[in-house]
Amino acid sequence: MTDTSLQNDGLLRRILRAAAGPLGMVLALGALVLFFAFTTEHFLTLVNLRTIANQIPTLLIVGVGMTFVLVAGGIDLSVGSVLALSSAVLGACMTQTSMPLAAAMLAALATGLACGAVNGFLVARWRTPSFIVTLGVLEAARGGAYLVTNSQTQYIGARIERIAETSLLGFSLPFAVALAVVIAGHVTLTRTRFGRHLAATGYNEEVGRLCGIATRRIQFAVFALCGALTGLAAIVHTARLSAADPNAGTGFELEAIAAVVIGGTSLTGGRGSVLRTVLGVLIIAVLGSGLAQAGVQEPAKRLITGMVIVAAVLLDRFRKQKSDA
Amino acid sequence: MWMRILVTAAMLPWLFAGCGQPAPSDGASTQRPRVALVMKSLANEFFKTMEEGAKAYHAEHADTFDLITNGIKNEEDISGQVALVEQMIARGVDAIVIAPADSKALISVLKRAQNAGITVVNIDNRLDEAVLAGDGLDIPFVGPDNRAGARMAGEYLAGKLQAGDKVAIIGGIPSAFNAIQRRLGFEDAMKAAKLDIVASQSGNWEMAKANQVASGIINEHPDLKAILCANDSMVLGAVAALRAAGRDDVLTVGFDNISAVRDLLRDGHVLCTVDQHGDQLAVFGIQYALEILKKGTSPEDQETPVDLITAKDLQ
Repeated sequence: MTDTSLQNDGLLRRILRAAAGPLGMVLALGALVLFFAFTTEHFLTLVNLRTIANQIPTLLIVGVGMTFVLVAGGIDLSVGSVLALSSAVLGACMTQTSMPLAAAMLAALATGLACGAVNGFLVARWRTPSFIVTLGVLEAARGGAYLVTNSQTQYIGARIERIAETSLLGFSLPFAVALAVVIAGHVTLTRTRFGRHLAATGYNEEVGRLCGIATRRIQFAVFALCGALTGLAAIVHTARLSAADPNAGTGFELEAIAAVVIGGTSLTGGRGSVLRTVLGVLIIAVLGSGLAQAGVQEPAKRLITGMVIVAAVLLDRFRKQKSDA
Repeated sequence: MWMRILVTAAMLPWLFAGCGQPAPSDGASTQRPRVALVMKSLANEFFKTMEEGAKAYHAEHADTFDLITNGIKNEEDISGQVALVEQMIARGVDAIVIAPADSKALISVLKRAQNAGITVVNIDNRLDEAVLAGDGLDIPFVGPDNRAGARMAGEYLAGKLQAGDKVAIIGGIPSAFNAIQRRLGFEDAMKAAKLDIVASQSGNWEMAKANQVASGIINEHPDLKAILCANDSMVLGAVAALRAAGRDDVLTVGFDNISAVRDLLRDGHVLCTVDQHGDQLAVFGIQYALEILKKGTSPEDQETPVDLITAKDLQ
């Protein structure tokens, strides 16, 4: 599990950092699992493992896209609304037209890609801050989701359930897809020229540009990719709930950003890791699932979730200072 | 510069007069009464249906009154709703029919509306009676009894279960009046039938959130017999959780009777839901406001019907 970093570290320090890197996160995750194993009756069971594996693909897939965006020095606040819009398009295609499943899925993917491309175009072409551009798309895509569904939840039923029910080597198809996205994302970020250019752009765009990197093209590509992945996540999300809800994904962008940042990806760009985003996603998923099983009430749930996010980031900070020393 | 200040100063008395008094009805006295319908989020299917019902009613009676409909961005946009009421006061409407986003925060602006001579009718979400009494206000409420509706659904469910069976409740946003009423209604019915409520958590009215909560509850309580949800979006999430866990022996109950839940009612995945006739709710409020305007009757509360919906009702 390596960080993509342009900082020219000594070899020994890099090995040390790589070894110490995810340890804090793994410890935090282990502590959470142990805590819930003791406080609830049925947490450490195969059924629950399957439940969590069934719930995380949406966050995992968007988390990979968000990691890319953050590494490139941007932020994408629109993912929650784009998730709802893509899901709405999928739902509308399947309930209001006789479109086959594959075509409806393609339409959902295209919707996500189009929203991402709009984000990317506005950010790269006119150098507008991604924070405000994606905030605008957040609003617009939510409006689109209401329009497409006529503000009504679209129930799809058995025709889409077969996606979630298909099993691949004991995992659900969505989980396998999410795993493939994670592996592809990790390889892209660490082993390809695109990945290195991405980090360079995020670390210092001006320097990157002077080094001959097509930083604008990179920025466009990264937002388009995040949009397309959100479209993919929307398919998985809709298949799990067998319905398209125009209010889906409200506040989901914050959950995705939290998962990525807990995983140690820098908010200021240049540094991040897909595999560690997975740890961030797992921490959030285990927390959500465990608190529901323990029967914790809403106010306490929110307090605890907030404190765990802060604690995880502090832990990461502490680890970094130690390895930098 | 001085000119501008002088002009502004000269206009001030008119500005204040316009705020504090009923809009002058000279010339407008022969016109139809203007009724403003102020709702919560139009992104919510329930209020969308409510608005459509009101517009359809208005289309049939366009010669008797004028209708202005408005909604806010989302359920939490309380200040947005206060601003809407202020705009309606400024426009000098004759009546405001409002589904308040908050049972307390809207009271002071509605008091200003009443002082401006506007007839105010409260629908859907009941204004806090203690605060109303404290302010010496009398605003009639026209709407359903959510607690009674939830109790009705709970009683129907209890008829399918035995004393001691384990059930779970998934509620709405904890602070919302309707969420509290529905939870209390479910609890009334469960306690009366001696059923065991093993979990009661919030699903924030949302499908995905309810799905996660329901998954956790059915894992923790493998002998669970039923899940009661405070709205239909959440029952969709609960049904998906049950399907993922391969449990088809758990009964579910919803609330609102949205279109997306009908297939599930027909095939038995949802046992029953509650219809409080959202499309008629605003119409009841408007009719009531027009009646008060016409007869000047003293305002009294009016209860609107709530009905239990099962597969049988959809044939």
